[in-house]
Parts: sequence; structure tokens; C-alpha cells
Amino acid sequence: MRLFLVILGSLAASLPLSGQDVPPAVAAERAAFADWLLTSASSPFAVVVQRAIGEGLTLGPTAADIPLEGLQLHRVTERRGVPYLNDGTRDRVLARFRQTSIGSGGYKISIIGAPGRGTAIIYGPSPRQPKPPVFYPYQSRLSLTVTLDPPARPRDRRILAADGSEVLATEAGTVQVTLEGKTTELQVYRVPDVTGEEAELEIYFRDATNDHGTYPAGRFVTLYPLGGSSYRLDFNRARNPFCAYSSVFACPIPWRGNLIESPIEAGEKYTGGGLELTPPEET
Amino acid sequence: MLITALLATSLQGIPADPGGTWRAVLDLAGGPLRFAMRVEGTGTTWRGSLCNGPDCEDFSAITVRGDSLAFEMADYDATITAVAQGDSLLGYYRNVGNRGPRVIPFRAGRGEWPATNLTPRLAGSWDATFDHGTRTSPRVIVLRDGVRGVEASFLANSGDYGLYWGTATADSFDVGHFDGAFVYRITGRIDGDTLRGVYHAGARTQTPWTAVRTTGKRHLTPPLEVTKADTTEPFRFAFPDTDGRLVTNEDPRFAGKVVLVDIFGSWCPTCHDAAPTLVDLHRRYRDQGLEIVGLAYEVTGDSAIDNRQVRRFGRKFGIEYPLLVAGLNTVEATAATLPQLEGFTAYPTTLFLGRDGRIRKVHAGFLGPATGIQHTRTVEHFHEWVEALLAEP
Repeated sequence: MRLFLVILGSLAASLPLSGQDVPPAVAAERAAFADWLLTSASSPFAVVVQRAIGEGLTLGPTAADIPLEGLQLHRVTERRGVPYLNDGTRDRVLARFRQTSIGSGGYKISIIGAPGRGTAIIYGPSPRQPKPPVFYPYQSRLSLTVTLDPPARPRDRRILAADGSEVLATEAGTVQVTLEGKTTELQVYRVPDVTGEEAELEIYFRDATNDHGTYPAGRFVTLYPLGGSSYRLDFNRARNPFCAYSSVFACPIPWRGNLIESPIEAGEKYTGGGLELTPPEET
Repeated sequence: MLITALLATSLQGIPADPGGTWRAVLDLAGGPLRFAMRVEGTGTTWRGSLCNGPDCEDFSAITVRGDSLAFEMADYDATITAVAQGDSLLGYYRNVGNRGPRVIPFRAGRGEWPATNLTPRLAGSWDATFDHGTRTSPRVIVLRDGVRGVEASFLANSGDYGLYWGTATADSFDVGHFDGAFVYRITGRIDGDTLRGVYHAGARTQTPWTAVRTTGKRHLTPPLEVTKADTTEPFRFAFPDTDGRLVTNEDPRFAGKVVLVDIFGSWCPTCHDAAPTLVDLHRRYRDQGLEIVGLAYEVTGDSAIDNRQVRRFGRKFGIEYPLLVAGLNTVEATAATLPQLEGFTAYPTTLFLGRDGRIRKVHAGFLGPATGIQHTRTVEHFHEWVEALLAEP
């Protein structure tokens, strides 16, 4: 049996893929993503609370903004763009984008967002009841080559990224997709990562599967450059916003337009447990 | 078919041999980012490093299971996993960010990357402007020939990005920086007097830029400068050393001396970059009247831990001048303990005090060895300033 699998594997690597085979890069991406969701200390399933720091947050006792069992009163503030954690006796500077332990109960805190607009994420000791991601069978017909039509004058807009954090995204233009004989124009934004060094071209879209197999608020899909103004738009790589995993995450408001009338039975499914939403009305 | 099957079984039986030098790439959307891997060992014990030209970082572990290999970089929660196919490795690099894992295709073949040289048209310093669509931002790219090929440093307002390494042709260059966490590549081509290129960050981000020869006019804005220093009175400090003994600016060891005050933290990588320069200055000029004192702003506020970290820092660099534990690295703590500096935020900051004890110069930040000529120039300035202050009566 082992030998048989080896031969199949080596043949698969050298032959063109059939319509149902998951390409190796997508398979690797899915495996890493599943591993991260199930085991990582930064998994969305490990997040207890995610909340903007604003005027300051108290953590710990029942009456605190964020009650955390077994933790004495702590306070998180942001002053002149610097985040601090006060444990009742002194302030310490919190590193951005890195987990810092609070108390002895295994809680950790991480600060994301631009200086002055920080958001605190509190992590529990490990992912709680994590669920593996579930995908539709791969459909090569839903991996499209599209042309990005840039805007005459791009503008910046504050939006929520897939993880519910607020980012300053830049309009990247529009792409047209034709499915089942109907053409839809989709807005594309350049969404920066937490460090601001990297950005992805993202489309937040809705389709006829929302609330019928996929998450009601819609899904994100990334554009992959093919050279020039050509991009790969592979709906098989569509994934849920984090609010689909846990109700602690803020849910991005669906982007204006970006509604595909046909069902996109590809990419990640919704298996329950997220922020309960009713599908948004058409805009 | 039978031959394929036999070949497949026999390959399965032989564990992969990771030993040797590998020409490796990460396949980014805009093309390959090149780096090298150097691995030594036998049987089950392997160690090795990931190199950008002469600059190498050790893997925390290398494991071999059959034809599968894993190169771990524990500090960055990152791994390269690959399958050996003959003399090639094929697989993926992955690390973890806040929004999930990042997966980038990886491949490698045996041998060294060829070393190439820069033409005079490309070599030197370029003032670049990055086009982010809705805004632009300044960068400086410095291209030079190194021992193993083309080296580059890359500076933004926020500091330098470490050593870049790569190749060049008569009119183009292609350099990368991959240290396990950061995935950056710069490509450029000369077009008349203008250098045009793309900055690749991570798997897909591509930012176009154009550059002209550095003119000497200030292109970058230093990020964090001390806005104001009190120069009317001697600079005062009074902090315990790592054994708890109080050291102050009025101690006889500083009287009538030129004093460099190094405001640092053992947690600060740039402070590690700066330490050898200070040690060298101290050895060279102390007989002529130079003294140095380090003021450490540490992380925990637990004096047992902070003292231990500061002692380690001293031992690592062979520091013979006093290191004082000044407090926590908070804005409040520095503002409270250094009232003569206003707007202090940069680690390290070096204060140059004249023989009368007053602040004559404040140098915020430090350009490390990865910045090449910029580093050399910074070190030269430190020497010039010390010599000038020593020459004063």
C-alpha cells in the first residue's frame, strides 16, 4: 500500500492536475492554516477578548472591563502612542505584535493597531475547543485569471481586516468576474499587515452560499500577481473572517457591491461557533 | 512502471543527506529571493545556518526523517520543511503572524551561488522614493561589492533593515534579506540617471520605487531625535551599578574628563551593535581623558534579573567602564530620571559631555555594521567628536 501511494504521489507531481486535485501550494497553505488554528498560541481559538484600548481597559476582577478569572486588577493604557500595562504598582511598556504574559494564570496580551489606535488581544493558555477548517472540494474552474483596473485617484479607507483589527487600507481598483454568464465587478483593497511592511490585495465578497454553507458576512480572498495587471483569483482559497471562528472578534462590514449572485461552492465553509449574524441585505 | 516503483522504494530507504552548501530560494510572486544554507554533521546530528552572503543565522534544529527535512528557526516560530529529490530540496517556508501562517514555496540545489560584481553605474548610494499609491516615502539604498557578491543596505526613516545580499548584471541588481522572519527583496535596473525597481516584501507585496544618486542633501528624517537637551549645567546622573553601589556624575573618576553617556538597554539589538564602538573608543582614548558610563533602562524592574542582564551585556563586550541600572525602559521612567533631556525615545542615545560636564552633542540611534559605509561613517564621527572634545582645554 505504501509503495502504491509513493507511485501515485510521484505521478501526481509530474502530471497536469485534474479539476478536483488540490494544487500542492494550496494544500500546503491549508495544512499550515489548520495546524495554526488547532495548536498555535496565537490561534483565533486562543483569543479570549479583542478590544480597542481607547481611554484604557481594566482587566481581572468581575467588575473590570475584561474579567479574567484568577487575575488581580491590571490596567492597559496607551499614552503618546505607547501601550502600558499597570499591575497595581507600576507601568511597564508593552511590545506591539508580541505576546506578553499577565499574571500567573497563563493569560497573554498582545497589542495590535497603529500607535494611538491600539487594540488589546488577550489570549488564554491554549486554543479552546478548536475546530479544523473545512473546505469545499477543489474546483479548478473557480481559479480565475483577472485584470486589475486601478482607480484614477486611489484613496485610503479605514476598514476591519479579516482578524477584526482596524487598518488603513488603500483602494487598489476593481476586477470583473464572469460566472454562470453573469459579470460582477469586485472592489479590491490593499490591506496592510500589522507591521505595515507587507500588504495583500484582498476582496471581501458575498455570494449565494452565505448562510447556506458559508459564513453570512462573506469571505475574504487574496489576489496573487501573475505579472503586469494580471492576477490569479482563486475562490478555492477564500477564507472566513475570524468572527466566523469566535464571537470575540469584530466582524468586518461587507464591502459595498462585491455581491456575486451565483453560489461559490469553493474555499472555506462555515461550521458554526462564530459571531451569530443574519445575512446582510443586498446593497 | 516497475522501474519507477523500484526507484521509489530505494529512494524511500535512504535518508536524505542535508550536509553541504545549498543554493536556496523562496519563490515570491515577483521572482526568487536567493539565500544560502550551510549544513554540517552526520547521521542524526546536524547543525547549520541560513546565510545572506556573509551574514549567517543558526538554525535552532535540523531534523531528517527518511527523505523529509525540517530546518527550525525557533526564535521566529518558523520552519522550512522540504523533501529531498535527488540533489534538490523542494518544500515550503512557513512562519506565524497575527493573522495566521504565511507559507512561501522553497527550493534548493547543491552548491554555492556565483559571486558577481557591481558596475560603477550601480555601485554607491541612492536616494529612493517608494510609491505606495496614495503616498510616497523615502528610503536609501546603498550598493557595494562584498566578499561573496553584491551587498546592499537599505535604510528607512525608522532605521536599517540588516544586510541584503545578491547579484548584479551590467545594468541591474537583485538582492534579498531573509533571516527566518523577514522576507525582503529589492530588484532594480538603471535607466539613464534613474534607478527604477520593485521592493518585494513577503510572498506578494510589491512596491515600485525610483531613485537618483545621493546628493548629500538630507533624504531621510531621523526617526527619534532628542528634541531638547539642557546644556546650561553639567549633566547629572546618580544610579546604582549592578552591585548596588551608587555612581554619580560628581565621582572623581569623571572630574575634568570628556564623558560619553550611553543610554541603552540589554534588550535593544541596536545597543548591542553600538557597544563594540564604545569599547574601542574607551580603550583608545581613556589615557587621554575619556570616560564612558552606560545607563541601562531594563525590562523587568526586578533588580536581580535586570542586574544579571546588564552584567551579561558587560561580559559579552568586555566592557571596562561602569554600567549603571537606571530603571525601567518606560517613557515615564526615562523622563523622571533624565530631566535634562526632553523628548527622549531612541535606544541607544549617546551624550557627548565636555570636560565641564555639560552636554555638547546628542546622538540618537546607531547605524549597525549591516549598513556598511553608513556604519563606518558613524564610527568615524564618534572618533572625531571625542578627539575634538579631548583637544579642548
